[in-house]
Amino acid sequence: MNDFASLVQLSIAVPIIAAFLTLYVGKWGRPAVQIVSVTGFALPAIFALFLWGFYDPAIAGDYAFVSKMDTGLSIIGVSLHLGLNGVGLPLFVMASVVGLAAGLFAAQSKAENLPRYLFCLLIMQGGLMGVFASIDIFFFYFFHELALIPTFIMVGIWGGRDRNYAAMKMTIYLTLGAMLSLVGLIAIYVKSGAESFDLITLKAHLAEAPLAEAVQHYAFGLLLFGFGILVSLWPMHTWAPLGYGAAPSSAAMLHAGVLKKFGLYGLIQIAVPLLPDGIKQWENWIVWLALGNILVVGLITMAQRDLKQMIGYSSVMHMGYAFLGIAAMSVLGVGGVVFMMIAHGLTVALLFMLSTMIHHRTQTFEMDEMGGLSKKAPVLSAFFVCSMMASIALPGPGLANFWAELSIFIAIYQFKSWLIYAAVAGIVISAIYGLRAIARIFFGEESKDFVESQKEFAVSDMTWAERVPALILIVVMFFIGFFPKTVTESLNESLQKEAVYSQSE
Amino acid sequence: MESQLYAYGLLAIPLLSATAIAFFFRRSGALASGISVGAAASILATAGHIIFRVENFEYNVEWIEIGSLKVSFGFLINDLAKLMLFVVAFVGFLVHLFSLGYMKDDPNKARFFGGLSIFMFSMLGLVMASGLITLFIFWELVGFSSYMLIGFYLEKPSAAAASKKAFIVNRVGDFGFLIGIIMLFSMFGTLNLTSLSEIFSTDGTLLDQAAVTTIGLLLFCGTVGKSGQLPLHVWLPDAMEGPTPVSALIHAATMVAAGVFLLCRTGFLMTVDALTVITWVGVATALFAGFTAVAQRDIKKILAYSTVSQLGYMVAAFGLGSLAAFGGNGHAHGHMGDAVVTGGVAAAMFHLTTHAFFKALLFLGSGSIIHACHHEQDIFKMGGLKSKMPITFITFSIGVLALTGFPLLAGFFSKDAILAVALESNSAAFYLLVFGAFLTALYMTRLWLITFLGAPKSDNANHARENGLTMTIPLILLAALSVVGGYASLYPEVVSGVISGIPHPDSAGQTTILIASLVAVFAGYIISYFFYGAGAKEDRLEQTVEPLHIVLAGKFYFDHAYDWYVAKVQQRVATTLHFTEQIALSGLIIRGAAGFAGLIGIGLKTLHVGSIHAYVYWFIGGLALFWVLAVGIF
Repeated sequence: MNDFASLVQLSIAVPIIAAFLTLYVGKWGRPAVQIVSVTGFALPAIFALFLWGFYDPAIAGDYAFVSKMDTGLSIIGVSLHLGLNGVGLPLFVMASVVGLAAGLFAAQSKAENLPRYLFCLLIMQGGLMGVFASIDIFFFYFFHELALIPTFIMVGIWGGRDRNYAAMKMTIYLTLGAMLSLVGLIAIYVKSGAESFDLITLKAHLAEAPLAEAVQHYAFGLLLFGFGILVSLWPMHTWAPLGYGAAPSSAAMLHAGVLKKFGLYGLIQIAVPLLPDGIKQWENWIVWLALGNILVVGLITMAQRDLKQMIGYSSVMHMGYAFLGIAAMSVLGVGGVVFMMIAHGLTVALLFMLSTMIHHRTQTFEMDEMGGLSKKAPVLSAFFVCSMMASIALPGPGLANFWAELSIFIAIYQFKSWLIYAAVAGIVISAIYGLRAIARIFFGEESKDFVESQKEFAVSDMTWAERVPALILIVVMFFIGFFPKTVTESLNESLQKEAVYSQSE
Repeated sequence: MESQLYAYGLLAIPLLSATAIAFFFRRSGALASGISVGAAASILATAGHIIFRVENFEYNVEWIEIGSLKVSFGFLINDLAKLMLFVVAFVGFLVHLFSLGYMKDDPNKARFFGGLSIFMFSMLGLVMASGLITLFIFWELVGFSSYMLIGFYLEKPSAAAASKKAFIVNRVGDFGFLIGIIMLFSMFGTLNLTSLSEIFSTDGTLLDQAAVTTIGLLLFCGTVGKSGQLPLHVWLPDAMEGPTPVSALIHAATMVAAGVFLLCRTGFLMTVDALTVITWVGVATALFAGFTAVAQRDIKKILAYSTVSQLGYMVAAFGLGSLAAFGGNGHAHGHMGDAVVTGGVAAAMFHLTTHAFFKALLFLGSGSIIHACHHEQDIFKMGGLKSKMPITFITFSIGVLALTGFPLLAGFFSKDAILAVALESNSAAFYLLVFGAFLTALYMTRLWLITFLGAPKSDNANHARENGLTMTIPLILLAALSVVGGYASLYPEVVSGVISGIPHPDSAGQTTILIASLVAVFAGYIISYFFYGAGAKEDRLEQTVEPLHIVLAGKFYFDHAYDWYVAKVQQRVATTLHFTEQIALSGLIIRGAAGFAGLIGIGLKTLHVGSIHAYVYWFIGGLALFWVLAVGIF
């Protein structure tokens, strides 16, 4: 089963090597940079899809494509232990696909100092591939930081409005979140006495001798709020809309689409299985804060005028479902969350990309200054309607999102039945802001500002260079929606193996 | 060939048509319309084959499995589905044909026909779905295609607003529908219609009746949204912003009736309490919309309120008929699978079918008028169209007579079936529905008199002339069905499971119904004729009883109330929350923290010694501190 382990390693190494090559070939001009960087994004995607095809659910949810390398840190129980199970694999694939789309979009963009921009993005991609392939918690964390630091740099240098403030705020919040979770992870390491950061070893060890309840309580609290900040749990979410609003679109795509899922992934694969008593003690916290995400942030999303901020808020809102799904602690709920991470990752990346395309045509993100764009750009309008419908989980384009929400809803109902009313109210809220955005940007008459801006900037429809990355995301979105078993079969197996989830079935 | 292949084919045809149009024929309207109409014809043929040549069947294939949730994709073809398939495929084809003429000069024809194909795909899927999840998915998709087509004239702000409203109001209904589905799944572990009906028929009485009632009413929320029942009817009249063929197909004949179809599919799980609520919602809607229709000026709005009213009849018929089937002894559930249907399902489906014929006819007729009058929709600017558009006039008149329940036409029989179940289970509902029949005759006669008789009241009306064959042939065919559609004996054997359930009251009851309905209908005709007069220029009601007219024309202020809520409550709450967040979280706490960090930073500046070695030591020192902290906390 470990035949293709080297492909996992290559998926991480190739973007990082390509990153440095991009800097090197910069002197040979734009095409060379584009070829090298796109290769750096395309190869991991090809590898990941290949691995997806070869993953055998029959291995009953264990890690496949495993490799273990000594990095000289074995003295403290750290090794580069890579592998993919039913939870990691689909996210690994999603990361590679979103990365490819973001990379293609960035490579054809007019960003200043393109080689360095792509350098940052490729480093980020390397980190992302590493996050979902790490069995070792130390490297899991390391790869996250590797992806996070370029994000700050990209917001600060290539960002839009308020980029300095946004970069600072993002740095403060996310560093704080990362540090809290690090303290929590170290606490598990120390208190377990397993002397290993290896997740498999830790799990086996803690299954024999679980941590004391008090320790679980504190450790889970640290992880919950640490990861919670990273996933924009209410009310620690304000960095997200601001940061995404300012971030260059490819960075926003990778961060909102993929990197943000690190926290959820950490909760699902590490925190809950290792600290099963911990989550029960924090259950009510999760529920109430997640309701804040859905209802409070949902309403705030309705009040947004800036398109990118609105997408940022809507993404924060969706994270509320994820936390509720985790709180339900069943295979159904957590499976739904993983499914949502994939569907949401693809959708939100698509929306950020399209919103930048809209910006290129209207010169603004203010929705009130747009209007009537569908006449000039019908294809763009069709793409946007399709992805907004996906985002609000309309079956069809959003069939994958629908499966995710449906599973989470059922799990929530079986967990605490009254929650269902609050959670499902979210589908009405999201319909309101989603359709408002469509109507304000594309339908009706052109606003005065838009008419003015057209005198300087001619408006054309989507070019093929813009269509290709969007189509990649849409095709994968549809595929996962219509053939959900390609994801859920192995996902089920892996989650069933976790006693903490399968007990409640 | 296996049965399910035909069903798959039925879905594949419109899907391929829509895909082809979207990817290849976006700019060639003529080809796109050809493909779409061809697809509609193939659908009609395939549906015909399924109806007449394929035995009833059920087919399921596993679609997704996460944890305890297993969902199958599948088809359940029984008499009920076959009747609905016939309505959708037949009316669908005629509307496609009509659209060839109606949309001839529209530059965005390709988008229109692509949208129609997507609609056909979604609607056929909804009709054939074997489980509630599949049904819900297609249910959302018909809502989406309706959204796209209502907003077809997307540069018009009113069309953009109407499409948005339709989608959101439907989502409010779906809120309940989805929760109902979730509860149902949690209670029984399956959402397959056949399995559920088996559970209910074996031990329906043992179940927690309160929970089942809740589930029934939550599912009914979906119907309230989709079929425009009170208080979620507000989107349907606004949906008339879409092109008229769309109004005929989606917002009169098929999609809005999907709510009634849903009730019939899930009828086995309705309890007496749930049915009582359903009945009264239906009756209230029938009367409310009838009143509102009396004071509208826009020809399509009148027809739209009439549709809401008739949907109310269908919903009430389902409730009343199913209540009658309980017959006081508690739990006599009808089993759809065995094609034993309660009178409620039969009466509702019968009226749904005849209504599809004559309401599609009336909408297409109004389309023919609007097309001829250069998009004039105000009936007080029409007049005198009788001689200018003879085919439209004759067919439209047949439609009016059929809808109002003129003896021996389609609506007469289906309305009598409804009155029969009403008489059997609730006499108050019976008299209210008879009064509704009076209202129907009143507003339809008003529409007919003002539009067709008298002299033309505008240039547009003066220059009107009859449309071409693609538009008149569908009118003629639908008119023919509006005449004969009420004779149950003409329906083929394959749908007898539904049709044979149509109630036949005893002779005393029959006499009561006949007298009551004839009095009501003819009173409507006569009062309307003498009150409004042929080809009236002004609304007589407005001149005589102004306060009443204001309330009716104001549609009982539902829209005002909702607009007020959205602007003054919802939006203000949203803005306030947003503002609070900006101030409280971003402003005070974060900036405060940043300021605090800044102070520390000033203190730490002394550590900036500019040597790389010093930084490395600081870094390692920090790491060590961090480690100690992490370990020490516990």
